[in-house]
Amino acid sequence: MATAAFDVLDGAAREFERAMQRNLKGLEYFQTGGPTLGATPKDVLIERGTMRLYHYHPRADDVYRVPLLLVMATTNRGYIFDMVPGQSLVEYLLDAGFDVFMLDWDAPRADERNLSLESYVLDFLPAAVARVKEESGEDDVTVVAYCFGGVLSLLWAALHPDDGLANLVTFTTPVDFSRMEMFQSWADRRFFDVDRLVDTFGNCPGDYLYTAFDMLRPGQRAAGNIRLYDNLWNDDFVKAYRMFDRWSADILPLAGEYFRQTTKKLMWGNELIEGTLEVGGRRVDLGNINVPFLHVAAEHDHIVPTAASAPLVGMVGSKDKNEIVLKGGHVSLVAGGNAIKRLWPNLVEWLGVRSI
Amino acid sequence: MTSTDPAAFFREMLGEWEKMANKVGGDFARSDEFTRAMHGATAATMSTQEAISAMMTRALAAANMPSRTEIEDLSGRLGRIEDQLARIEAALGGKPERPARPKPSRTRKPPEKKG
Repeated sequence: MATAAFDVLDGAAREFERAMQRNLKGLEYFQTGGPTLGATPKDVLIERGTMRLYHYHPRADDVYRVPLLLVMATTNRGYIFDMVPGQSLVEYLLDAGFDVFMLDWDAPRADERNLSLESYVLDFLPAAVARVKEESGEDDVTVVAYCFGGVLSLLWAALHPDDGLANLVTFTTPVDFSRMEMFQSWADRRFFDVDRLVDTFGNCPGDYLYTAFDMLRPGQRAAGNIRLYDNLWNDDFVKAYRMFDRWSADILPLAGEYFRQTTKKLMWGNELIEGTLEVGGRRVDLGNINVPFLHVAAEHDHIVPTAASAPLVGMVGSKDKNEIVLKGGHVSLVAGGNAIKRLWPNLVEWLGVRSI
Repeated sequence: MTSTDPAAFFREMLGEWEKMANKVGGDFARSDEFTRAMHGATAATMSTQEAISAMMTRALAAANMPSRTEIEDLSGRLGRIEDQLARIEAALGGKPERPARPKPSRTRKPPEKKG
Protein backbone atom coordinates (compact mmCIF):
# COMPACT_ATOMS: atom_id res chain seq x y z
CA MET A 1 0.00 0.00 0.00
CA ALA A 2 2.83 2.36 1.01
CA THR A 3 4.74 1.38 -2.15
CA ALA A 4 1.74 2.22 -4.30
CA ALA A 5 1.48 5.62 -2.63
CA PHE A 6 5.17 6.27 -3.29
CA ASP A 7 4.69 5.23 -6.94
CA VAL A 8 1.87 7.74 -7.33
CA LEU A 9 3.94 10.51 -5.69
CA ASP A 10 6.98 9.65 -7.84
CA GLY A 11 4.83 9.64 -10.94
CA ALA A 12 3.21 12.95 -10.03
CA ALA A 13 6.64 14.55 -9.39
CA ARG A 14 7.93 13.26 -12.73
CA GLU A 15 4.88 14.50 -14.61
CA PHE A 16 5.15 17.91 -12.89
CA GLU A 17 8.80 18.16 -13.97
CA ARG A 18 7.87 17.18 -17.53
CA ALA A 19 5.00 19.69 -17.61
CA MET A 20 7.48 22.44 -16.70
CA GLN A 21 9.87 21.26 -19.39
CA ARG A 22 7.03 21.09 -21.90
CA ASN A 23 6.18 24.75 -21.33
CA LEU A 24 9.80 25.84 -21.74
CA LYS A 25 10.58 23.62 -24.71
CA GLY A 26 7.19 24.24 -26.30
CA LEU A 27 8.19 27.87 -26.83
CA GLU A 28 11.54 26.73 -28.20
CA TYR A 29 9.74 24.37 -30.60
CA PHE A 30 7.90 27.20 -32.32
CA GLN A 31 10.91 29.51 -32.30
CA THR A 32 13.37 27.14 -33.93
CA GLY A 33 13.42 25.19 -37.16
CA GLY A 34 13.98 21.47 -37.33
CA PRO A 35 17.39 19.86 -37.79
CA THR A 36 19.16 20.28 -41.13
CA LEU A 37 18.47 17.20 -43.23
CA GLY A 38 20.36 15.65 -46.14
CA ALA A 39 23.58 17.52 -45.36
CA THR A 40 26.20 14.82 -46.04
CA PRO A 41 28.71 16.49 -48.44
CA LYS A 42 28.03 15.67 -52.08
CA ASP A 43 28.50 16.80 -55.66
CA VAL A 44 25.56 17.24 -58.00
CA LEU A 45 26.46 15.31 -61.14
CA ILE A 46 23.20 15.74 -63.04
CA GLU A 47 20.52 18.39 -62.57
CA ARG A 48 18.05 17.96 -65.39
CA GLY A 49 14.43 18.96 -64.80
CA THR A 50 13.05 16.66 -62.12
CA MET A 51 16.18 14.46 -62.13
CA ARG A 52 19.08 14.85 -59.70
CA LEU A 53 22.15 12.64 -59.45
CA TYR A 54 24.38 13.09 -56.42
CA HIS A 55 27.80 11.69 -55.63
CA TYR A 56 28.59 11.66 -51.91
CA HIS A 57 32.17 12.38 -50.92
CA PRO A 58 33.80 9.08 -49.96
CA ARG A 59 34.82 8.82 -46.31
CA ALA A 60 37.19 5.87 -46.66
CA ASP A 61 40.63 5.77 -48.32
CA ASP A 62 39.82 2.37 -49.76
CA VAL A 63 36.30 1.67 -51.03
CA TYR A 64 34.59 -1.39 -52.49
CA ARG A 65 35.18 -1.68 -56.22
CA VAL A 66 31.49 -1.60 -57.22
CA PRO A 67 29.82 1.81 -56.80
CA LEU A 68 26.40 1.93 -55.18
CA LEU A 69 23.46 3.89 -56.59
CA LEU A 70 20.49 4.64 -54.34
CA VAL A 71 17.26 5.18 -56.28
CA MET A 72 14.54 7.15 -54.53
CA ALA A 73 10.80 6.77 -54.96
CA THR A 74 9.32 9.46 -57.21
CA THR A 75 6.82 10.61 -54.57
CA ASN A 76 9.37 11.50 -51.88
CA ARG A 77 12.67 13.23 -51.27
CA GLY A 78 15.87 11.24 -51.01
CA TYR A 79 16.93 12.73 -47.70
CA ILE A 80 15.10 9.89 -45.97
CA PHE A 81 18.41 8.10 -46.67
CA ASP A 82 20.40 11.00 -45.23
CA MET A 83 18.56 12.45 -42.24
CA VAL A 84 21.16 13.73 -39.73
CA PRO A 85 24.65 12.57 -38.74
CA GLY A 86 24.32 9.30 -36.86
CA GLN A 87 20.94 8.62 -38.48
CA SER A 88 21.94 8.60 -42.13
CA LEU A 89 22.06 5.48 -44.29
CA VAL A 90 24.30 7.36 -46.71
CA GLU A 91 26.79 8.13 -43.94
CA TYR A 92 26.59 4.53 -42.72
CA LEU A 93 27.36 3.19 -46.20
CA LEU A 94 30.21 5.68 -46.69
CA ASP A 95 31.73 4.66 -43.36
CA ALA A 96 31.36 1.00 -44.33
CA GLY A 97 33.51 1.72 -47.40
CA PHE A 98 31.02 2.17 -50.25
CA ASP A 99 31.20 4.76 -53.01
CA VAL A 100 27.65 6.14 -52.83
CA PHE A 101 25.54 7.92 -55.45
CA MET A 102 21.86 8.82 -55.30
CA LEU A 103 19.23 9.28 -57.99
CA ASP A 104 16.83 11.76 -56.41
CA TRP A 105 13.91 13.80 -57.71
CA ASP A 106 12.75 17.37 -57.55
CA ALA A 107 9.14 18.39 -58.15
CA PRO A 108 8.46 18.04 -61.90
CA ARG A 109 7.92 21.43 -63.51
CA ALA A 110 4.61 22.21 -65.22
CA ASP A 111 6.23 21.63 -68.60
CA GLU A 112 7.36 18.16 -67.49
CA ARG A 113 3.78 16.91 -67.36
CA ASN A 114 4.50 14.74 -70.40
CA LEU A 115 7.22 12.72 -68.70
CA SER A 116 6.21 9.09 -68.85
CA LEU A 117 7.20 5.73 -67.42
CA GLU A 118 9.51 5.50 -70.45
CA SER A 119 11.23 8.76 -69.42
CA TYR A 120 12.13 7.28 -66.03
CA VAL A 121 12.98 3.73 -67.16
CA LEU A 122 14.58 4.34 -70.54
CA ASP A 123 16.13 7.76 -69.98
CA PHE A 124 16.71 8.89 -66.37
CA LEU A 125 17.88 5.57 -64.93
CA PRO A 126 20.21 4.65 -67.83
CA ALA A 127 21.63 8.20 -67.79
CA ALA A 128 22.28 7.97 -64.05
CA VAL A 129 23.91 4.54 -64.32
CA ALA A 130 26.10 5.68 -67.23
CA ARG A 131 27.26 8.71 -65.23
CA VAL A 132 28.00 6.59 -62.14
CA LYS A 133 30.11 4.28 -64.30
CA GLU A 134 31.93 7.23 -65.84
CA GLU A 135 32.56 8.89 -62.47
CA SER A 136 33.75 5.72 -60.75
CA GLY A 137 35.62 4.26 -63.71
CA GLU A 138 33.90 0.92 -63.13
CA ASP A 139 31.80 -1.10 -65.56
CA ASP A 140 29.21 -2.30 -63.09
CA VAL A 141 26.97 -0.70 -60.48
CA THR A 142 24.92 -1.87 -57.51
CA VAL A 143 21.41 -0.40 -57.39
CA VAL A 144 19.57 -0.05 -54.06
CA ALA A 145 16.04 1.26 -54.55
CA TYR A 146 13.15 2.23 -52.32
CA CYS A 147 9.43 1.64 -52.90
CA PHE A 148 8.44 2.87 -56.39
CA GLY A 149 12.11 3.58 -57.05
CA GLY A 150 12.33 -0.21 -56.78
CA VAL A 151 9.65 -0.69 -59.43
CA LEU A 152 11.50 1.65 -61.82
CA SER A 153 14.79 -0.13 -61.10
CA LEU A 154 13.22 -3.54 -61.75
CA LEU A 155 11.80 -2.35 -65.06
CA TRP A 156 15.15 -0.83 -66.06
CA ALA A 157 17.08 -3.95 -64.99
CA ALA A 158 14.72 -6.26 -66.88
CA LEU A 159 14.97 -4.19 -70.06
CA HIS A 160 18.73 -3.52 -69.83
CA PRO A 161 20.32 -6.83 -68.78
CA ASP A 162 23.66 -5.77 -70.34
CA ASP A 163 23.89 -2.33 -68.79
CA GLY A 164 26.34 -3.35 -66.06
CA LEU A 165 24.08 -4.05 -63.10
CA ALA A 166 26.13 -5.88 -60.44
CA ASN A 167 23.56 -6.32 -57.65
CA LEU A 168 19.98 -5.20 -57.15
CA VAL A 169 18.42 -4.47 -53.77
CA THR A 170 14.85 -3.28 -53.43
CA PHE A 171 13.06 -2.12 -50.29
CA THR A 172 9.27 -2.44 -49.94
CA THR A 173 8.69 -2.73 -53.67
CA PRO A 174 5.22 -3.73 -54.88
CA VAL A 175 4.63 -6.00 -57.86
CA ASP A 176 1.09 -7.20 -57.13
CA PHE A 177 -0.85 -3.96 -57.08
CA SER A 178 -4.14 -5.75 -56.44
CA ARG A 179 -2.89 -6.30 -52.89
CA MET A 180 -2.50 -2.58 -52.19
CA GLU A 181 -6.06 -2.57 -50.98
CA MET A 182 -6.51 1.00 -49.83
CA PHE A 183 -4.96 2.49 -52.95
CA GLN A 184 -7.02 0.06 -55.03
CA SER A 185 -10.22 1.37 -53.44
CA TRP A 186 -9.28 4.97 -54.09
CA ALA A 187 -8.14 4.29 -57.65
CA ASP A 188 -11.40 2.44 -58.41
CA ARG A 189 -12.06 3.25 -62.05
CA ARG A 190 -15.82 3.52 -61.40
CA PHE A 191 -15.14 6.70 -59.43
CA PHE A 192 -11.63 7.88 -60.31
CA ASP A 193 -11.26 9.78 -63.57
CA VAL A 194 -7.47 9.85 -63.91
CA ASP A 195 -7.65 11.34 -67.41
CA ARG A 196 -9.61 14.33 -66.19
CA LEU A 197 -7.29 14.83 -63.22
CA VAL A 198 -4.17 14.84 -65.39
CA ASP A 199 -5.81 16.92 -68.14
CA THR A 200 -6.90 19.49 -65.56
CA PHE A 201 -3.87 19.77 -63.30
CA GLY A 202 -1.08 18.71 -65.66
CA ASN A 203 0.93 17.04 -62.92
CA CYS A 204 -0.74 15.11 -60.12
CA PRO A 205 -0.59 17.59 -57.19
CA GLY A 206 1.58 16.71 -54.20
CA ASP A 207 -1.26 17.73 -51.83
CA TYR A 208 -3.48 15.10 -53.41
CA LEU A 209 -0.87 12.40 -52.80
CA TYR A 210 -0.14 13.69 -49.30
CA THR A 211 -3.82 13.40 -48.36
CA ALA A 212 -3.91 9.86 -49.76
CA PHE A 213 -0.87 8.79 -47.71
CA ASP A 214 -2.27 10.53 -44.63
CA MET A 215 -5.63 8.78 -44.95
CA LEU A 216 -4.01 5.34 -44.95
CA ARG A 217 -3.82 5.75 -41.17
CA PRO A 218 -6.57 8.16 -40.22
CA GLY A 219 -5.70 8.21 -36.50
CA GLN A 220 -1.98 8.66 -36.88
CA ARG A 221 -1.73 12.43 -37.25
CA ALA A 222 -3.95 13.28 -34.26
CA ALA A 223 -2.25 10.69 -32.04
CA GLY A 224 1.16 11.88 -33.26
CA ASN A 225 0.40 15.47 -32.27
CA ILE A 226 -0.72 14.38 -28.80
CA ARG A 227 2.44 12.28 -28.46
CA LEU A 228 4.56 15.21 -29.53
CA TYR A 229 3.00 17.39 -26.80
CA ASP A 230 3.47 14.59 -24.27
CA ASN A 231 7.15 14.27 -25.22
CA LEU A 232 8.06 17.93 -25.69
CA TRP A 233 10.42 17.57 -22.70
CA ASN A 234 12.40 14.92 -24.59
CA ASP A 235 14.84 16.50 -27.09
CA ASP A 236 15.59 13.24 -28.90
CA PHE A 237 11.90 12.51 -29.44
CA VAL A 238 11.24 16.03 -30.73
CA LYS A 239 14.22 15.88 -33.10
CA ALA A 240 13.10 12.54 -34.53
CA TYR A 241 9.47 13.74 -34.79
CA ARG A 242 10.51 16.87 -36.69
CA MET A 243 12.71 14.91 -39.09
CA PHE A 244 10.08 12.36 -40.01
CA ASP A 245 7.18 14.83 -39.97
CA ARG A 246 9.02 17.12 -42.36
CA TRP A 247 9.93 14.27 -44.69
CA SER A 248 6.47 12.73 -44.75
CA ALA A 249 4.88 16.11 -45.54
CA ASP A 250 7.43 16.78 -48.29
CA ILE A 251 5.53 14.88 -50.97
CA LEU A 252 6.40 15.55 -54.58
CA PRO A 253 3.85 16.00 -57.36
CA LEU A 254 3.99 13.30 -60.00
CA ALA A 255 4.44 14.02 -63.70
CA GLY A 256 0.99 13.82 -65.29
CA GLU A 257 1.53 11.19 -67.99
CA TYR A 258 3.60 9.07 -65.64
CA PHE A 259 0.78 9.18 -63.08
CA ARG A 260 -1.80 8.34 -65.75
CA GLN A 261 0.27 5.38 -66.98
CA THR A 262 1.04 3.96 -63.54
CA THR A 263 -2.63 4.25 -62.57
CA LYS A 264 -3.85 2.49 -65.71
CA LYS A 265 -1.10 -0.06 -66.21
CA LEU A 266 -0.34 -0.97 -62.62
CA MET A 267 -3.27 -0.01 -60.37
CA TRP A 268 -5.97 -0.96 -62.87
CA GLY A 269 -4.27 -3.50 -65.13
CA ASN A 270 -1.83 -5.00 -62.59
CA GLU A 271 0.29 -5.56 -65.70
CA LEU A 272 3.60 -6.22 -63.97
CA ILE A 273 2.47 -9.40 -62.27
CA GLU A 274 0.24 -10.34 -65.21
CA GLY A 275 3.34 -10.23 -67.43
CA THR A 276 1.71 -7.84 -69.91
CA LEU A 277 3.52 -4.63 -69.00
CA GLU A 278 5.25 -2.90 -71.89
CA VAL A 279 7.61 0.04 -71.56
CA GLY A 280 8.61 1.78 -74.77
CA GLY A 281 6.97 -1.02 -76.74
CA ARG A 282 9.06 -3.73 -75.04
CA ARG A 283 7.53 -6.41 -72.84
CA VAL A 284 8.94 -6.44 -69.28
CA ASP A 285 10.03 -9.84 -67.99
CA LEU A 286 11.58 -9.76 -64.52
CA GLY A 287 12.98 -13.21 -65.31
CA ASN A 288 15.63 -11.33 -67.34
CA ILE A 289 17.17 -10.10 -64.08
CA ASN A 290 19.99 -12.50 -63.27
CA VAL A 291 22.22 -10.54 -60.89
CA PRO A 292 22.30 -11.13 -57.11
CA PHE A 293 18.99 -9.83 -55.81
CA LEU A 294 17.73 -8.92 -52.36
CA HIS A 295 14.28 -7.67 -51.42
CA VAL A 296 13.59 -6.29 -47.96
CA ALA A 297 9.99 -5.97 -46.79
CA ALA A 298 8.59 -4.44 -43.60
CA GLU A 299 6.32 -6.58 -41.46
CA HIS A 300 3.94 -3.72 -40.61
CA ASP A 301 4.08 -1.80 -43.89
CA HIS A 302 0.77 0.08 -44.32
CA ILE A 303 1.71 1.56 -47.71
CA VAL A 304 3.10 -1.51 -49.48
CA PRO A 305 1.68 -4.50 -47.58
CA THR A 306 3.96 -7.55 -47.64
CA ALA A 307 1.37 -9.35 -49.81
CA ALA A 308 1.97 -6.77 -52.56
CA SER A 309 5.71 -7.49 -52.70
CA ALA A 310 5.68 -11.20 -51.78
CA PRO A 311 5.72 -12.55 -55.39
CA LEU A 312 8.72 -10.41 -56.37
CA VAL A 313 11.56 -12.78 -55.47
CA GLY A 314 9.87 -15.61 -57.37
CA MET A 315 9.55 -13.46 -60.49
CA VAL A 316 13.22 -12.46 -60.66
CA GLY A 317 15.46 -14.81 -62.67
CA SER A 318 18.51 -14.61 -60.39
CA LYS A 319 19.92 -17.73 -58.74
CA ASP A 320 21.38 -15.70 -55.87
CA LYS A 321 18.20 -14.11 -54.54
CA ASN A 322 16.66 -13.63 -51.16
CA GLU A 323 13.92 -11.81 -49.31
CA ILE A 324 14.06 -10.71 -45.72
CA VAL A 325 11.11 -9.39 -43.78
CA LEU A 326 12.10 -7.13 -40.92
CA LYS A 327 10.08 -5.66 -38.10
CA GLY A 328 8.95 -2.13 -38.74
CA GLY A 329 6.84 -0.05 -41.09
CA HIS A 330 7.32 1.45 -44.54
CA VAL A 331 9.50 4.30 -43.28
CA SER A 332 10.99 2.90 -40.08
CA LEU A 333 12.40 0.06 -42.18
CA VAL A 334 14.85 2.41 -43.90
CA ALA A 335 15.40 5.24 -41.40
CA GLY A 336 15.46 5.83 -37.66
CA GLY A 337 16.52 3.76 -34.70
CA ASN A 338 15.08 0.45 -35.91
CA ALA A 339 16.75 0.73 -39.31
CA ILE A 340 20.16 1.36 -37.73
CA LYS A 341 19.83 -1.88 -35.74
CA ARG A 342 18.07 -4.05 -38.32
CA LEU A 343 18.26 -3.11 -41.99
CA TRP A 344 21.56 -1.25 -42.30
CA PRO A 345 23.91 -3.94 -40.89
CA ASN A 346 22.11 -6.62 -42.94
CA LEU A 347 22.44 -4.51 -46.08
CA VAL A 348 26.15 -3.81 -45.57
CA GLU A 349 26.87 -7.48 -44.91
CA TRP A 350 24.92 -8.62 -47.99
CA LEU A 351 26.50 -6.01 -50.27
CA GLY A 352 30.08 -6.26 -48.95
CA VAL A 353 30.80 -9.74 -50.30
CA ARG A 354 29.14 -8.86 -53.62
CA SER A 355 30.90 -5.54 -54.21
CA ILE A 356 34.53 -6.62 -54.73
CA MET B 1 0.08 -6.13 -12.47
CA THR B 2 -1.71 -2.86 -13.09
CA SER B 3 0.07 0.47 -13.32
CA THR B 4 -0.69 3.16 -10.77
CA ASP B 5 0.72 5.81 -13.09
CA PRO B 6 -2.19 7.74 -14.67
CA ALA B 7 0.14 9.18 -17.35
CA ALA B 8 1.18 5.67 -18.41
CA PHE B 9 -2.49 4.68 -18.50
CA PHE B 10 -3.27 7.69 -20.68
CA ARG B 11 -0.45 6.79 -23.10
CA GLU B 12 -1.69 3.24 -23.32
CA MET B 13 -5.20 4.48 -24.03
CA LEU B 14 -3.87 6.82 -26.71
CA GLY B 15 -2.21 3.86 -28.43
CA GLU B 16 -5.45 1.89 -28.26
CA TRP B 17 -7.45 4.83 -29.60
CA GLU B 18 -5.02 5.24 -32.50
CA LYS B 19 -5.32 1.55 -33.41
CA MET B 20 -9.11 1.77 -33.29
CA ALA B 21 -9.21 5.02 -35.30
CA ASN B 22 -6.92 3.50 -37.94
CA LYS B 23 -9.08 0.38 -38.14
CA VAL B 24 -12.49 2.08 -38.18
CA GLY B 25 -11.32 5.03 -40.30
CA GLY B 26 -9.48 2.67 -42.65
CA ASP B 27 -12.54 0.46 -43.13
CA PHE B 28 -14.65 3.52 -43.88
CA ALA B 29 -12.03 4.97 -46.23
CA ARG B 30 -12.06 1.69 -48.16
CA SER B 31 -15.82 1.83 -48.74
CA ASP B 32 -17.46 2.74 -52.05
CA GLU B 33 -19.34 5.58 -50.34
CA PHE B 34 -16.16 7.23 -49.16
CA THR B 35 -14.39 6.77 -52.50
CA ARG B 36 -17.36 8.19 -54.38
CA ALA B 37 -17.54 11.21 -52.03
CA MET B 38 -13.78 11.79 -52.19
CA HIS B 39 -13.70 11.77 -55.97
CA GLY B 40 -16.87 13.88 -56.05
CA ALA B 41 -15.00 16.53 -54.04
CA THR B 42 -12.00 16.24 -56.36
CA ALA B 43 -14.27 16.59 -59.41
CA ALA B 44 -15.81 19.75 -57.90
CA THR B 45 -12.30 21.17 -57.35
CA MET B 46 -11.39 20.33 -60.93
CA SER B 47 -14.55 21.99 -62.29
CA THR B 48 -13.69 25.15 -60.34
CA GLN B 49 -10.11 24.98 -61.57
CA GLU B 50 -11.23 24.55 -65.18
CA ALA B 51 -13.67 27.47 -64.92
CA ILE B 52 -11.07 29.78 -63.35
CA SER B 53 -8.48 28.68 -65.86
CA ALA B 54 -10.78 29.43 -68.82
CA MET B 55 -11.71 32.81 -67.34
CA MET B 56 -8.08 33.75 -66.70
CA THR B 57 -7.05 32.69 -70.21
CA ARG B 58 -9.72 34.99 -71.69
CA ALA B 59 -8.75 37.86 -69.37
CA LEU B 60 -5.05 37.49 -70.19
CA ALA B 61 -5.79 37.32 -73.91
CA ALA B 62 -7.87 40.50 -73.64
CA ALA B 63 -4.97 42.22 -71.84
CA ASN B 64 -2.56 40.98 -74.54
CA MET B 65 -0.67 38.93 -71.94
CA PRO B 66 0.64 35.38 -72.31
CA SER B 67 -1.45 32.66 -70.70
CA ARG B 68 -0.13 30.10 -68.23
CA THR B 69 -0.11 27.48 -70.97
CA GLU B 70 2.00 29.71 -73.19
CA ILE B 71 4.47 30.40 -70.35
CA GLU B 72 4.64 26.65 -69.66
CA ASP B 73 5.33 25.99 -73.34
CA LEU B 74 8.12 28.58 -73.27
CA SER B 75 9.53 27.01 -70.12
CA GLY B 76 9.40 23.61 -71.81
CA ARG B 77 11.29 24.94 -74.84
CA LEU B 78 13.92 26.51 -72.57
CA GLY B 79 14.23 23.19 -70.72
CA ARG B 80 14.80 21.35 -73.99
CA ILE B 81 17.45 23.91 -75.03
CA GLU B 82 19.17 23.41 -71.65
CA ASP B 83 19.11 19.64 -72.16
CA GLN B 84 20.62 20.03 -75.63
CA LEU B 85 23.32 22.35 -74.26
CA ALA B 86 24.13 19.80 -71.54
CA ARG B 87 24.44 17.07 -74.19
CA ILE B 88 26.68 19.28 -76.36
CA GLU B 89 28.79 20.17 -73.31
CA ALA B 90 29.12 16.49 -72.42
CA ALA B 91 30.04 15.59 -76.00
CA LEU B 92 32.74 18.29 -75.98
CA GLY B 93 34.12 16.90 -72.73
CA GLY B 94 33.25 19.99 -70.72
CA LYS B 95 32.27 19.37 -67.11
CA PRO B 96 31.41 21.80 -64.35
CA GLU B 97 34.41 22.80 -62.29
CA ARG B 98 34.62 20.81 -59.09
CA PRO B 99 37.42 20.94 -56.54
CA ALA B 100 39.78 18.03 -57.12
CA ARG B 101 39.66 15.47 -54.32
CA PRO B 102 41.91 12.46 -54.03
CA LYS B 103 40.07 9.41 -55.31
CA PRO B 104 40.01 6.43 -52.98
CA SER B 105 41.45 3.11 -54.10
CA ARG B 106 38.80 0.50 -54.93
CA THR B 107 40.28 -2.64 -53.43
CA ARG B 108 38.31 -2.92 -50.21
CA LYS B 109 37.36 -6.41 -49.02
CA PRO B 110 34.53 -7.25 -46.62
CA PRO B 111 35.59 -7.92 -43.04
CA GLU B 112 36.06 -11.60 -42.24
CA LYS B 113 33.15 -13.16 -40.41
CA LYS B 114 33.83 -13.84 -36.76
CA GLY B 115 33.46 -17.39 -35.49
